[in-house]
Amino acid sequence: MRAGLLGLVMGAAAELGTLVAAPALAATNVVATTTDLAALVAVVGGNLVTVESIVPPGVDPEAFEPRPGDLGKLRRADLLVRVGLGYDYWLDALVKQTGEKRLLRGGDAYLDASTGIPLLEIRGQSVVNEGGHAHGVANPHYWLDPDNAITITAGVAEALVRIAPTQREQILANRAGFLSQLETRRARWSQTLAPVAGTKLIAYHNSWPYFARRFRLDVIAFIEPKAGVAPSPAHLARVISEGRKAQVRAIVHEPYEPEDASRFVAGKLSVPMVRLAVSVGSIDGTSDYLALFDYNVATLAKALGARSP
Amino acid sequence: MSGLSDVLALLALPFAASAVFVLVHAYLGVHVLRRRIVFADLALAQLSALGATVAFANGYPVTSATGFGYALLFTAIGAALLTLTRSLARYVSQEAFVGIVYVVATAATILVVDRAPQGAEHVKKILIGSILTVEPADVAKFAALYGVIGLLHWLARRPLLALSGESAPVGRARVAVWIGDFAFYLSFAVVVTSSVTTAGVLLVFSLLIVPAVIGSIFSDKLSVVLPIAWSVGIAACAVGLAGSYALDLPTGAAMVTAQAGFLLLAGLAKVLMFVGIERRRRNLRIAVTAVVAAMLIALLASSVGLMIVPTGDQPLLAFVERVTGTGPTRFLGPSERDAYESAARDVVRFQGEVDRLNAMEKAARYQGAPLSDDDIRRIASYQKTFNEMTRGERFVQEVLRAKAQMRARWIVGVPGMLVALLGLLWLTRRLWIESVDFARSRLQS
Repeated sequence: MRAGLLGLVMGAAAELGTLVAAPALAATNVVATTTDLAALVAVVGGNLVTVESIVPPGVDPEAFEPRPGDLGKLRRADLLVRVGLGYDYWLDALVKQTGEKRLLRGGDAYLDASTGIPLLEIRGQSVVNEGGHAHGVANPHYWLDPDNAITITAGVAEALVRIAPTQREQILANRAGFLSQLETRRARWSQTLAPVAGTKLIAYHNSWPYFARRFRLDVIAFIEPKAGVAPSPAHLARVISEGRKAQVRAIVHEPYEPEDASRFVAGKLSVPMVRLAVSVGSIDGTSDYLALFDYNVATLAKALGARSP
Repeated sequence: MSGLSDVLALLALPFAASAVFVLVHAYLGVHVLRRRIVFADLALAQLSALGATVAFANGYPVTSATGFGYALLFTAIGAALLTLTRSLARYVSQEAFVGIVYVVATAATILVVDRAPQGAEHVKKILIGSILTVEPADVAKFAALYGVIGLLHWLARRPLLALSGESAPVGRARVAVWIGDFAFYLSFAVVVTSSVTTAGVLLVFSLLIVPAVIGSIFSDKLSVVLPIAWSVGIAACAVGLAGSYALDLPTGAAMVTAQAGFLLLAGLAKVLMFVGIERRRRNLRIAVTAVVAAMLIALLASSVGLMIVPTGDQPLLAFVERVTGTGPTRFLGPSERDAYESAARDVVRFQGEVDRLNAMEKAARYQGAPLSDDDIRRIASYQKTFNEMTRGERFVQEVLRAKAQMRARWIVGVPGMLVALLGLLWLTRRLWIESVDFARSRLQS
């Protein structure tokens, strides 16, 4: 009787165990700091991973304030993927607070996605943080070059395989599938923007060097050179005069920034102001990595009067 | 664009807008000073930001009629809250409640923004403002709105001023006091709500308080206070705008600083010019003594610091070196001086190389043959090397500077300390003699 009851309980426990444990065993839990990296992890991991970002879509990652729930997210993570280069600088304090060594730089569960990326605009590491916050080492907006997704997904795939070696084939197949899609779209994007190659633009912030390099654009000046400090009249006058001289054809504006100055400069130069998405999900219609470029390329092409094929 | 006429065209509208702001804000500022609730504008502005953010979170653009309605509704609630604080003022200062309203409204805005991130843009805008890019239609709108509010205030000036001046109104019906207070706060809220999105919280606050304070320094009468406040406020705005252009500074912050500068000048003028000759002489002496004493204390602290921690930072010494152009090499030998100077040259050269590579890479983005990823990696690694070398040269400079300060430790530190101590002693003695004289003359009279 007693053994029977025990057996029943154990059997139920075992059943319950498999029910609960099965998905936990199969899915690798990935936490990415930004939506862009989360989107790239999602395409490589497919249904083998669950992925969440710490910064919600549409929030400025450089002005992000972590909350208590993020600690729980990090503790549950099998893999942590970050932008690095000072962009998500708040992560270090957060990880330290969890006390998990594997999430620290060099730990098993740590991936800095900037590893191996050809970096642009490396600055001197002077005492004063000149040129705005968080751009101390190199410009951190490297995911805005679609070719860099090849490097980023390679790092992600390697880390995922390290964590779940049995899923190797599936992960590599996922990545290959994504890369072939990326190649097709990339050709289309380049084709769309080819007629406007060399176009001069003015941007609100310095978020576009990687995008500009890949699609051969020239961002000649920035409206707000330091984050959070309103432009001076002399600076604005200079931007307008340089813009006129260089025959700038559009003002590129990031979401989550006040539009007045951009609209003002656009008005003075009689050119359109274009809102482009810096991150996945920061503007409607940019819900994944490829859609981000679809949106940015189409919007920019339309503003510059290039025909979309 | 860089011609004078272009600059004037760029600054004319911001100046017109700030002049319009000064006219209405300085007047309201007099009320606010008399009511002793200087932070009320911040509280109301923040409530209006909260309203706009809530509207945004519910899917209405901030600039739409519904968006404005939300902002107005929240500020009206704020006006009602401020009206109620008068009856609470018996127990605790009204300013405490105003502060609570401000902080809670700010926190609530952050919480709402967290749910609807796009509103963050609006919150940022309210903090910094954008007076530089104000449009002609806006200025006309402000002028019309403030004209109406000014007219209403002029018609109801007697009861409103009376209410502002009395902390516990006597002989008035309670309901009449409430209606009067609410009307004042509501008009105040409408003004602040409209001006804050253009001028930003900092500038609105300083336009409200500083000219009114300057006027109140010189008189109690509204007919004197207002003209002074208006003219000084507008002059300060002009100086702030011009300074912002000439010195390449953010406009709002430069204008706030200019207001503060005028307040300082007004204070000095009051104690040094608008007083009797005896009093003026005395004030002047106090001012000179205070400045000399501050300088001597700085010298003392610096000299003692140099003797205790010779290799530490020496702001005063560095300042003197920069002004006199001697540089930190005074106490170094010829070969050390060479090393210091060549390190300085190398820093410039290496950073020039980094910039040159950046410029080259940037040009290749859109013209000529594109650089391959490997080219970019090579450039990046050169730049990192140059940055490392720069750090090395800076280290050399720091070591030499510490060496020089080590040598200056006693040679500069001891005389500096003695001069400072003697000076302070002399000042104290003079003050002592003066106060004895003063007491004696008091006794005699």
